[in-house]
Amino acid sequence: MLFSKSWLSDYVELPADVQDIQRRLTAVGLAVEGLEERGGDTILDVDVTTNRTDCMNHLGIARELAVIYGSPLKRPEAQPEESTERVEDAAAVDVEDWEGCPRFVARVVKGVRIGPSPDWLRARLEAIGLRPINNVVDVTNFILWEMGQPLHAYDLAKLGGSRLLVRRAREGETLVTLDGAERKLNPELLVIADADRAVGLAGVMGGADSEVTDATVDILIEGAHFNRQHVRVTARGLGMHTDASHRFERGADPELCLEAVSRAAALIAEIAGGAVLAGAIDRRKEDFPPILQGRLDLGRLDAFAGASVPKEDAHRWLSGLGFQVKNGGPAWDVTVPSWRLYDFQPRPDGTAYEQDLFEEVLRHFGFDNIPAALPALSGSDAPKTPRQILREKVRDHLAACGHAETVHFAFQAEGMDKSFPSLRPEAKPLRLANALSDRYDVMRRSLVPNLVETARFNQRRGLPAVRIFEIATVFYETPESEVPDQPEHVGLVCGGHAGNPWNRETDLDFFDLKGVVESVADAVGVRLDFRPASLPGLLEGSAAELFRSDQRIGYLGRVAQEEAYPLYVAEVALDGLEGGDVSLQVEAPSRFPAIDADLTFTHSQDTPWAEIDRTIAELRPPDLVFWEMTVRYLGQGVPEGAVNTTIHFLYNSSERSLTQEEVNERQLALAAELQRRFGWKG
Amino acid sequence: MPEDAAATVGLSQIDELTERFEREAAGVSGRAAWDDLRVRWIGRKQGIVRAALDGIQSVEPAQRRAYGEGVNRLKEQVERRLAEMDEAISAREQEAVRRSAAVDVTLPGRHPSLGAIHPVSRVIREMVEVFTELGYSVAEGPEAETDFHNFEALNFPKDHPARDSQDTFFLENGLLLRTQTSPVQIRTMLSRKPPIRIICPGRVYRNDNDLRHSPMFHQVEGLAVAEGITVGHLKGTLLAFLRRLFAPDAEIRLRPSFFPFTEPSAEVDINCQICKGKGCATCSGTGWMELLGCGMVDPRVLDTCGIDPDRYSGFAFGMGVDRVAMNRYNIPNIRTLFDNDERLLRQVRG
Repeated sequence: MLFSKSWLSDYVELPADVQDIQRRLTAVGLAVEGLEERGGDTILDVDVTTNRTDCMNHLGIARELAVIYGSPLKRPEAQPEESTERVEDAAAVDVEDWEGCPRFVARVVKGVRIGPSPDWLRARLEAIGLRPINNVVDVTNFILWEMGQPLHAYDLAKLGGSRLLVRRAREGETLVTLDGAERKLNPELLVIADADRAVGLAGVMGGADSEVTDATVDILIEGAHFNRQHVRVTARGLGMHTDASHRFERGADPELCLEAVSRAAALIAEIAGGAVLAGAIDRRKEDFPPILQGRLDLGRLDAFAGASVPKEDAHRWLSGLGFQVKNGGPAWDVTVPSWRLYDFQPRPDGTAYEQDLFEEVLRHFGFDNIPAALPALSGSDAPKTPRQILREKVRDHLAACGHAETVHFAFQAEGMDKSFPSLRPEAKPLRLANALSDRYDVMRRSLVPNLVETARFNQRRGLPAVRIFEIATVFYETPESEVPDQPEHVGLVCGGHAGNPWNRETDLDFFDLKGVVESVADAVGVRLDFRPASLPGLLEGSAAELFRSDQRIGYLGRVAQEEAYPLYVAEVALDGLEGGDVSLQVEAPSRFPAIDADLTFTHSQDTPWAEIDRTIAELRPPDLVFWEMTVRYLGQGVPEGAVNTTIHFLYNSSERSLTQEEVNERQLALAAELQRRFGWKG
Repeated sequence: MPEDAAATVGLSQIDELTERFEREAAGVSGRAAWDDLRVRWIGRKQGIVRAALDGIQSVEPAQRRAYGEGVNRLKEQVERRLAEMDEAISAREQEAVRRSAAVDVTLPGRHPSLGAIHPVSRVIREMVEVFTELGYSVAEGPEAETDFHNFEALNFPKDHPARDSQDTFFLENGLLLRTQTSPVQIRTMLSRKPPIRIICPGRVYRNDNDLRHSPMFHQVEGLAVAEGITVGHLKGTLLAFLRRLFAPDAEIRLRPSFFPFTEPSAEVDINCQICKGKGCATCSGTGWMELLGCGMVDPRVLDTCGIDPDRYSGFAFGMGVDRVAMNRYNIPNIRTLFDNDERLLRQVRG
């Protein structure tokens, strides 16, 4: 928002050093983001925060400057010379919607000569980037930027019945606004109407029909206070934003209406001639605005700040900012000025929060003057949750397994969301109401579609192998709960040719990814079962569901659609990895030598390893401490439909040295039983 | 044969043997030949030296002493010479073994294939670590949130322009994607009594998508509520945090600002870590970089959460993670951070 230094100087004496002004305004919360020298003037670009409507005009900024520099604020004269004709005889105002318009002030000036504004007025407006229009409109704009009250001047002759009514628009009613656009209205919107039709959008923009033109002779000046929600609804509903709506939406000063209208009338009479009728129409909602008071306890202020604030300074700053301060004791009764009401939303009991008052004092005291300290809170708040520990463990583990962590947007195209399995297929995806585009219209239910897309992106960039993962939230529509279920998942993708003949060369496949998943589960003490499954997007016969006990917690498989090299994906719910049994007990290894044995036998490819494994566990001869599958062989010498499996066995007793003979005996019996149950029978 | 002659014959025989041994030894280089040589000359049973010693029987008694001494000299010489040769052969053998086992130590090592943790995760961990050391716990909450938790309880009334600053993604079911991690603060304050010290890392969403903005990004927010929390504590905590995160001599400044959920509110700048405050391109010549927003928890927020604002006070702050990660890893724009190009991700180290 632009402000002219020369204009500000009308109300407060300022130092020549504009950098000092910039620094000090910024220090009280009015960030001066730019300074520009223009024709002997300096234009300040101030970032006025939404709560400081009172500073969206020159007087408001001047008020802060007067406090900063300790000089008096000179408020402009607002009393016009009045003619004998009474305003009530020339016009009338009725308010139908007090909620939307708690105050409406109007004055009438008769016999004006519309023409260009004098140079001083044009210069003021042009300095802050406004375009002069004519002397009457320029005065209303000038007042807005001088003291903050949005005004509107009507051509009185064009107001049907010479009267105004503040009411809701009628269904189907239309209005051509000053910008020439025809607006379709509805009863949500508040309008100013004459006896016949709407003539303005309350707090947003006037109508073209009653606009002041070169032919205008008598004018009515409106200075009203509109409810900020109503103005916002009207402006947003019609897609409009004006200087007036900007202020009303943020909360204007309800006590300014009369002063602003009177000053406008005086100025218009001065530069455009005419007679200001006696009196003003001032319609006001009962008990409006409320008076807001609070107590400021200086001891509590110091305790809140963690600094000692000089009492005299606090008093001077508050008074200078327009607060009425009573009682000189340790606690003051403070009345909030009308221009700060909206920034001081009261406590439930109707009084002002002391923190709002503290803020006013501390802004001017300066945050730089508060010494830094650490709070003396002993101990710690709470330990890390099991979930937080698990998540970081999994993240570290996957990185140590060679996977690179990725981060994707949580929204994706609905088609993509459907392309891979969901762990809760019955739950619908959450849909965005205002998605960036249809590429991002639903919240993902699985991490895999993004990971596969990223794997392809990396494939296309020529990476011989891809190994990535992500840990993030997925979303399920859950109509019965306050917020939808948003469990955390871990997703993985791998594929391609890793390493080289010198360094651990391997073609990544199903079992590489399965190994990573199993090692994660192992690290967190969870046992997983892999059961063959038929899943969307995954190659039939190369996909499995992951079970922990009988709970399905994930899946793993080969992506059906292939490009360059096969990709393998896995997804596991982090919930499913929680609460594992990480044993703290270890078993002492035997002091006696172990004896090992290998068995190779031919069996049908349809016999799952898990069944053989389970059978060994069931038949487990004494002292068999360990076994593992070491070779799978298909090829010469192995019949069609069969496979050779080699299993390595280890026998060890904790009490004595076993003899080769007794191990042979047990191993032969085990081998014979495995052969009997699974052996290839051709 | 006269006595002298016999003795002479015996002794000359030994000289001959000595010469012969030296001749044979000269032709030996390998271990096997050396072994043959050793057995032939000093073998227990059939060695030449033994035979020569046994030959003393046929020497005249008067000559035996001289002969015996001669054989002993021969034996000593042979043994000494064999020992020398053994040492030389062993040295050559060891040298050969060493040479065959020698490697080019500059060849590449075989790495276990390491992955990488995303820059954003790394920075979040670092920030969280500082605060856990200060006794904060990590609080988390849903990303699809209610209007109440994301806005209303944070003192953003319905139809208030303060909401304009946060372009919100709405869901068709009436919920929204959180625009900040502050709803986690609300959920914590609603469920617990002070003292509260939490740090809330997480993903947040705003409907903004260009080179400088990503519709999803990350925030870390902190909250401390207890009796006697002051503005000075806010400053001290931020200073301690930012010095750990950036540099031990980092300086900060607080500029009063406005956020609906804090009062007073401030923007925090850190002296530019590139030029150390002198002014450079990164800080647009100001010497300062805007880093985070903070303030004392607004009493309306405390009231909404059932915490008595007359008794308790608190501070809150929030900062973006992504920009810190970008600065740290020299990543030029925020979109690159989420491209997930493995060639970039795999360069990221602690």
